[in-house]
Amino acid sequence: MADPTNKLLSGACVVTGAGSGLGRSLARRLAQSGAIVAALGRQMQPLEETASGHRNITPFRCDVSDPVALEGAFADLRRVIGPVSILINNAAVYPKRDIFDESQKSFMDTVAINLGGTFGATRLALDDMTDAGFGRIMNVATFADIAPLPASSAYSVSKGAARILSRALQADLADRFPNIVITDWLPGMLDTQMGIQGGVNPDDAAVWGTTLALMDDPSLNGATFEMNREIPPPRSLKKKLKDKLLFRTPPAPRQL
Amino acid sequence: MNYLPDQNWDVIVIGTGIGGGTVGRALAEAGKKVLFVEKGPRGHRRERTPLSHDIFVPEARLARGLWPARMRGIVNGKESHFFGPLGSGLGGSSTFYAATLERPAPHDLDDSAACPHPGGAWPVSYAEFEPYLSRAEALFHVSGTPDPLSPPPSRELSAPHGMNDVDKLISRRLQKAGMTPYHLHSAIRRLEDCEECLGIKCPRACKMDGRSAGVEPALATGNAELLDCTEITRLESEAGKITGLVARRAGEILTLSAPVVVLAGGAFGTPRLCLASTSEAHPNGIANASGLVGRGLMFHLNEMLAVWPGLKGDAPSKSVGLRDFLCKDGMRLGMVQSMGINASYGEILHYLRQRLGRSRLGGSRLLQEAARLPASLAAILLGEAKIFVGLMEDFPYDENRVLPTDTDEIVFEYRTSTELHKRRKVFRKALRTAFRGQRHLLLSGAPELNYGHPSGTMRFGDDPASSVLRADGRTHDLSNLYVADASFMPSSMGVNPSLTIAAQALRVSEAILQRGSDG
Repeated sequence: MADPTNKLLSGACVVTGAGSGLGRSLARRLAQSGAIVAALGRQMQPLEETASGHRNITPFRCDVSDPVALEGAFADLRRVIGPVSILINNAAVYPKRDIFDESQKSFMDTVAINLGGTFGATRLALDDMTDAGFGRIMNVATFADIAPLPASSAYSVSKGAARILSRALQADLADRFPNIVITDWLPGMLDTQMGIQGGVNPDDAAVWGTTLALMDDPSLNGATFEMNREIPPPRSLKKKLKDKLLFRTPPAPRQL
Repeated sequence: MNYLPDQNWDVIVIGTGIGGGTVGRALAEAGKKVLFVEKGPRGHRRERTPLSHDIFVPEARLARGLWPARMRGIVNGKESHFFGPLGSGLGGSSTFYAATLERPAPHDLDDSAACPHPGGAWPVSYAEFEPYLSRAEALFHVSGTPDPLSPPPSRELSAPHGMNDVDKLISRRLQKAGMTPYHLHSAIRRLEDCEECLGIKCPRACKMDGRSAGVEPALATGNAELLDCTEITRLESEAGKITGLVARRAGEILTLSAPVVVLAGGAFGTPRLCLASTSEAHPNGIANASGLVGRGLMFHLNEMLAVWPGLKGDAPSKSVGLRDFLCKDGMRLGMVQSMGINASYGEILHYLRQRLGRSRLGGSRLLQEAARLPASLAAILLGEAKIFVGLMEDFPYDENRVLPTDTDEIVFEYRTSTELHKRRKVFRKALRTAFRGQRHLLLSGAPELNYGHPSGTMRFGDDPASSVLRADGRTHDLSNLYVADASFMPSSMGVNPSLTIAAQALRVSEAILQRGSDG
């Protein structure tokens, strides 16, 4: 099922947080689809489990909240596989902590992984992508920032900030590098350790995620997908009215 | 690598646009040790950054190779602030240009009874200048068909890629109207999958500009280096020679020096630097004994024209040029050319808005919004328009000038003369005649200055009292200071300036090499 014409498959496909849950499913599905996957995670053993039986997955131990470790892992994976053409920012933690159990230190530790790790991996991947002139970054995101649940302050804040980061990257990159395509993907409620019982099987979600990650389409820059469909950007009442007046129809949301 | 500022350079070139890139390349290829100093960054080779006026954060502009600050233009006494189409990065403004490298006509340099020259002839005749045009055409891979109305080039041009159907149709109709169109001269090599990077940075060495045809080949010789993100703030001199260049790099002040210095910061940048370099010996700035540094500022006048060929398909007109009224009844007008863009709804809207912006009612947002409806109606009724521009020659007046500032703001004063308005009227009439028989519309309202084509602010000439530079590009006042950018031009010509800037840069490199061997 690998598409030999897809230039995104030419380099390394980095999946962070690939030792469990959705990250593992994504790494495997991407490898089955022809990607050469660098699986990043904090512990070697689960990463090796992710890779077992998959020729195209190489594990790299790395805590994404540690800038030095992240830089080392990228240097290693470039040497072993090659320059990065796809990055899936998936690594995240969701410590359920009441505000009275959260300290500045514990709060910032979560931010360092969910936001800092996303920024760090993106920044490193951009070095390769700007050299090539193209690349694909998919950020696994949530709506946790819209209506934060109790005992979720650090998660809600850091994941919300990560969505702002996607928009900030658009502002910095979209005009200069229209072929470095950045998309937020909300996989939905998953049946994983971090998710809920009875949620979507991460293997099923990974099918959508992989399809989206391998789409070589500049118009996906800045787009947001939830599960298998696009969430169009919000339109103000004024904009809706103006579109009506000028007989403009907004483009229909895309389906994976 | 040793610290660049401390190495022994034969020549320091300030600025890396068409002029700086070309002079530095010629010198490096001749074995000289050349240091390019560029105010902006080297940039990313694969970026496709467009020339954008939407980005206004100075740091973000500079990161993209755009001039960081707004310009302050005082035109006919009225002040306005805007972002000019100016670069500030490796390749200068040229990385964003449309790579139309047209030759001047003989009368652009020479005086004649049939077409009197506005400031007297150039100190170099067309016949002397022509071989350098040919050399520049070779360096920039220029292709096109010779203009039937001009003398043939001494070296044959590369064959163009052929016109598309739109261009063929428009050309046929122009011919029917008695015009003599030809295939424009372009420095785009059309490598495989060429995206014709008009107005954007080309991610490959396909569009030839100050970077791809200048600095990059210079660096490839091993004789040149680039010091980017470094602004020269002041020239220091002693006994008629430049002795040092004061520079600012990452907040630090450093001093550079070399036996020969070439200024190539463009028709705004170069006089700004000279005027800022005041001292007891040079109270009016360096190289300014004539008092003419910064003066004689010229632009071209853009006359925008929409043409509806009535063909299906959305290919823009890219390659039609005509020079039938470069000089009409002794009156200097200018050439006409395809701009390579369609006027979609958005572009027509932009123009209508610009015109509104200049009118007294322009401030009203409501009116700006109202312009949308007629524009969309026009787009539906007429389809996509092909945009042409007439570049009308501007004459030099000493009161039109660049003023020094100690910030990045570029300030200039400019007045449109009665003579200009008169020629414009004739030009517009001539444009309408040329395009009769095809649906067209002149888009420009008030005279529209082409801020991408500034020139004349350090003009060359034989008389030190009436010019800043000698014929070979060296300043009259300082024995080791040269200029190789659009500021040397004593008249603005009726064609795009880039090829002429490159040709003069080659002459400057030759002068530097010759004097070097003379000792």
